[in-house]
This record gives sequence, structure tokens and C-alpha cells, in this order.
Amino acid sequence: MKTRVEKALKTAGMKAFEETCYLYPVPELKEVQEMLPMEAAVEVKYRGDFTGRILIEARGGLSQAIAVNMLSSQDPSEEQKMDALGEIANIICGNVIPALGGISQGYRIEAPRCIPLNEVQNNLLGEPLVSMVLNLNQGRADLKFYVDGYYPAPEKNT
Amino acid sequence: MALNTLVVDDSSVMRSIIIKTLRLAGLSLGDVLEAGNGQEGLKLLEDNWVDLALVDIHMPVMDGEEMINRLRKNKEYHDLPVIIVSSESDSARIEMLQKKGATFMHKPFTPETLREAIIEATGVSHEDQG
Repeated sequence: MKTRVEKALKTAGMKAFEETCYLYPVPELKEVQEMLPMEAAVEVKYRGDFTGRILIEARGGLSQAIAVNMLSSQDPSEEQKMDALGEIANIICGNVIPALGGISQGYRIEAPRCIPLNEVQNNLLGEPLVSMVLNLNQGRADLKFYVDGYYPAPEKNT
Repeated sequence: MALNTLVVDDSSVMRSIIIKTLRLAGLSLGDVLEAGNGQEGLKLLEDNWVDLALVDIHMPVMDGEEMINRLRKNKEYHDLPVIIVSSESDSARIEMLQKKGATFMHKPFTPETLREAIIEATGVSHEDQG
């Protein structure tokens, strides 16, 4: 199951960053990038056959780069940066959930919500099912996929 | 022919992305109007001539589905080409909106995808002559 989520999250994440804000993956994560502090975090909750949330943590100037590329403005406000990051989270969530097949009765995605950094740093959101790093040409995105309770469609052993 | 276009989305960032992508799509654009929900969009249509509407589904005050319902009952705009731009993936809901004459475009999208959706919705290529 975890592999399916990882694949869906990576595909949706890369597509969203490439097509929406022209940010492209860089394969190698340098040592300095591993230590980048978190600058913003946004979550999008989903409800359907299963419920949970997707969290994006922006590091290394990513929220600025997203807003600049999305808005074609060199000096986006903090609000615009959070809105732009929220849109990316919304798009990723809207592509991951259908890819996992958890929509037999439809699903709902809530509006993006800015998360105080201390909530993320103190691990108040719990443990994600999947966590991955997307290293981009302008910053780094940490994507986390949470499922409330359990996952109802276990992987078949074929 | 330049396309007068109405972009309806409660996110100003998303409206900016759609407008930016519209400009990259190589189509001849006329006036581009913006509204934050369906009600504001309908109000703009009362005072402006629009050839195409790009509409989000989930919005406060009046959502995209209700806006399309009201458009289809409007004498002047009952056949306005509408493209739904959304993260929605519920196939039953998408099918229902398509039955109301809307073209569906899933986020994220490229200028090429948008261009194809506009040609499908309007039936005209609206090539940029400039």
C-alpha cells in the first residue's frame, strides 16, 4: 500500500510543480539542502472512502518561488505565498486520492489551511503513512500523506 | 476573433494562473474579467459581453454548478461555452456537469491542454494573429 501512495504522491507532486509553477525536480539532494529549515506548511484534508490529510512543507525559498512563478510577481506578499502553496497542495490532493482509487462514493477536499510551524515541528499531526522529499530547482518540498485510522483497500499479493 | 473571457474562482492565485496560462495558450484574447464566485460572475455577465467562462466548482456564496444552472436558464447566456477548471475527480459529478454543456479540465493543466479545451468548448481555434 505504502508503495502505491508513494508513487501517486510523487507523480502528482512533480506534475503539479512542473505544470503549475514551472519548478523541476533536481535529482541530487545536497548536504546543505538536507538541513534547510521549514519556512511554511499547508495541509489539505480529504474525505471519501478514507479520510486524512496531505501536508506540504516548504523549504529553501520554495514558497517564494511558487508564488513568483504562479503570479508573475517578483514581490509576492506573505498571504500570496501561502495561497499559492495552498493551491499546489489542493492540486496534489485532487490527483493523489483518485489515483489511489478511494472514491467509490465520491470524495471531498477541504480548503487548504496554513499550519503553524510549531505544530509540524512538534509532530502534533501524528505520523504520516508516507513522507517524501521533492528536491526542486528552486527549493525543496516535503510531502506527507496522512490517513486517519486505517486504509480500507489493502494491497493484494499477486 | 478575440475571446472575451470570464474567470471565476475564489482563489486569486488560481485566477492568476488561469489568466497567465490563457496568455501562453496562443489564442487571441480580448477582455479578461475576474470574479470570486458564481454570483459575482453572473453580475459581470449582466454588464459585459463574454465569449467564454472558465469556472471553478467549489466556491463560497455560489458554486460553479449553480452558476451553470442559472446560465442555462438565462436567455442571453444559455449557450455560453463553459470550461470547468477543478481538482474534482468524481466521475459522476463530472458527467453531470458535462451534460449541462460544460467542458471539464482537470488541474494541473498546461497551455496546450487549455487551448484544446477552449477549442472543444467554443468550436473555434481563436488563433492569436499578433
